[in-house]
Amino acid sequence: MTEVAAEPAVYAAGLTRQYGGVTVVRGVDLALPAGSKTALLGANGAGKTTLLNMLSTLITPTRGQVRIAGQKPGTAALRRAIGVLGHKPMLYEDLSPLENLRFFARLYEVQDADARIEELLRRVGLWLRRHERTAILSRGYHQRLALARVLVHRPAVVIADEPETGLDPEGVALLDELALAAPGLTVLAATHRIDHLPAWATGVVRLERGRVAEDTSSIALPGEVTAAGPRGVVAP
Amino acid sequence: MGPVLTVLRKDLLLAWRNRSGWASAAAFATIAVLTYSFAFDLATGDVRPLLPGVLWTTFLFAGVFAAGQSFQDEVEDGTFDAMLVAPVPATAIFAGKLAANLIALLIIEFAQLLLATILFDVGLFTPELLGIVVIGTVGYVSLTTLLSTMGGHVRGRSVLLPVLVLPLLVPLLIGAVRATGAALGLESGTAPWMLLLGVFTLWSTLASVLLFPVAVER
Amino acid sequence: MNLSSLVGTVLARADQWRWTVMPPLVGVAMMAMIVGALVAAPREIVQGEVQRLMYIHVPSAVIMYAAFFVTAFSSVMLLWKRDMRWDAIARASATVGVFLCAMVLLSGAIWGKPTWGVYWSWDARLTSTLILFLIYTAYLLARSVAGPLDEQAARYAAVFAIIGVVDIPIIQMSVRWWRTLHPQPTVFTPDPALPNEMLLVLLIGFVAVFALAAWLIMLQSDTERASQRVTALRAEVDHREMA
Repeated sequence: MTEVAAEPAVYAAGLTRQYGGVTVVRGVDLALPAGSKTALLGANGAGKTTLLNMLSTLITPTRGQVRIAGQKPGTAALRRAIGVLGHKPMLYEDLSPLENLRFFARLYEVQDADARIEELLRRVGLWLRRHERTAILSRGYHQRLALARVLVHRPAVVIADEPETGLDPEGVALLDELALAAPGLTVLAATHRIDHLPAWATGVVRLERGRVAEDTSSIALPGEVTAAGPRGVVAP
Repeated sequence: MGPVLTVLRKDLLLAWRNRSGWASAAAFATIAVLTYSFAFDLATGDVRPLLPGVLWTTFLFAGVFAAGQSFQDEVEDGTFDAMLVAPVPATAIFAGKLAANLIALLIIEFAQLLLATILFDVGLFTPELLGIVVIGTVGYVSLTTLLSTMGGHVRGRSVLLPVLVLPLLVPLLIGAVRATGAALGLESGTAPWMLLLGVFTLWSTLASVLLFPVAVER
Repeated sequence: MNLSSLVGTVLARADQWRWTVMPPLVGVAMMAMIVGALVAAPREIVQGEVQRLMYIHVPSAVIMYAAFFVTAFSSVMLLWKRDMRWDAIARASATVGVFLCAMVLLSGAIWGKPTWGVYWSWDARLTSTLILFLIYTAYLLARSVAGPLDEQAARYAAVFAIIGVVDIPIIQMSVRWWRTLHPQPTVFTPDPALPNEMLLVLLIGFVAVFALAAWLIMLQSDTERASQRVTALRAEVDHREMA
């Protein structure tokens, strides 16, 4: 029988978002367990980016609740628990990789900042270029630096929007190793590839027109019954 | 205090890297002073009656001109979002941004004071006058920073910003010009003007700090 | 009955009234004002016929502030409730306020020329009104640059409106000091006590302008709401075509 589930790392209930009259995300429920790696699939306009933005608290939902690692939106605790890898690199072009990471490390109050930054820069292959202006780095290296930025504060949950964009195969391997497949990390990553399931994914959530059409990742929470029956695995 | 300083240091560092942008603002201010010199024929006679007006209109225009810059890039590169997602209160982000803009503009203004001292042979570096410049600058920078921040997502913002902010700053302009005039000995009684300046600065800073988190929510 | 449902009830009632009660009310009140102003009120000895402009100038000035207050209130509600209907009301109210403001400035100028020889005298009140005109025009400009359902732009405009409204008393105070603490001849003398007939017409004028303003705000909010609905429908169509 179903075990009593621990608090899901990513919890959403009835998440809805309207933009200018269009309901872009409609009643999305999620309960992703800690350590799960979920691929978020869906065509353009299905609502993936909006859903991810709501989960990362960049946007306020029109309706619904979010809890990340048990924390409510608006709390510093929730923001500390998340790492966001968006479409834009979210890097200061005029600062060096080192300065960028130092800034974010300070914002997140990372204790062993210098050691952590060095470790990450070496892993993504930017240590030797740490003093150059970020603007001159290639797209691929921008993404690698963004990867370092996401991980510098050791988040519990990584929310990523098509993170493979711009990465060469080596970069993708790095992304998989450090983030998407990293043990202990909960991942929800939107990916454009709907042809084959990414190797790192343990489950899938597919959005169609703002609704959840398929969800093999969420766990059934005790006592929760959705309109379609106890939430959980939907037969493919 | 920590996050404010972190944001401030980052913005000062960026301002230094982007110094050509700020240099343009400084150049604009200098050109404005020269333009006024020709337009109002400030080469002859006692220019002191016109000087407070010349200085403050220059400061305001330079301030509005420069305000738009700092936020544009942040929004485009997504770093503004990155700060909002970090465990830093929005107020701290605003305070850091405000402090950085303030420092940059004060530097530009002091350069203009130096220029005016030389061009017009007037003693401008008195503690009283400098105090007025500092308070007045805080007064207008808070509103220009707030309005330029939020406008990051609105089209046609750069042209709109002066139209939006300058009418709101009329009390500041009146107070600052009159107080500066009094400091130069042009009229008696700084008191009501300093009161006006002080009240306005206090209000504009408070309002901006309080409204920023509300405005930035999406 | 809490405040929210009370406001809701009033707004719903107002909805019904805009085509039934308001038009005749406004019509009668405006007619009364015009008749009173042009015919019934006594002729002022010193200033002559042009003084009759007072009956539209003064009420417009007062109701103009009320309209801007409605804009500010709606802006606060928009930021709080995130309901775009408040944006429609805020814009409508600001539009009517700007119109009334223009009436004040225009009637002031026309009144001023024969009376004091100048169209514009930098009188403290008129100058403040001009600044107010600029602020709310800027508000409408900033808001209209974006679409009717652009929440970001609506919030931006709302914050601007709130700052503007709080700034108004400061602006008035500063302009008054600017005029009075500087030795300049004052042009507008304070009104002496008005005779009863004039006061009556003035009162009718207040009612008329208030009714007119309220009605125009209702109509304009309707228009804004319709605009919002059209935009929403278009966006919905686009969204469906895409998927």
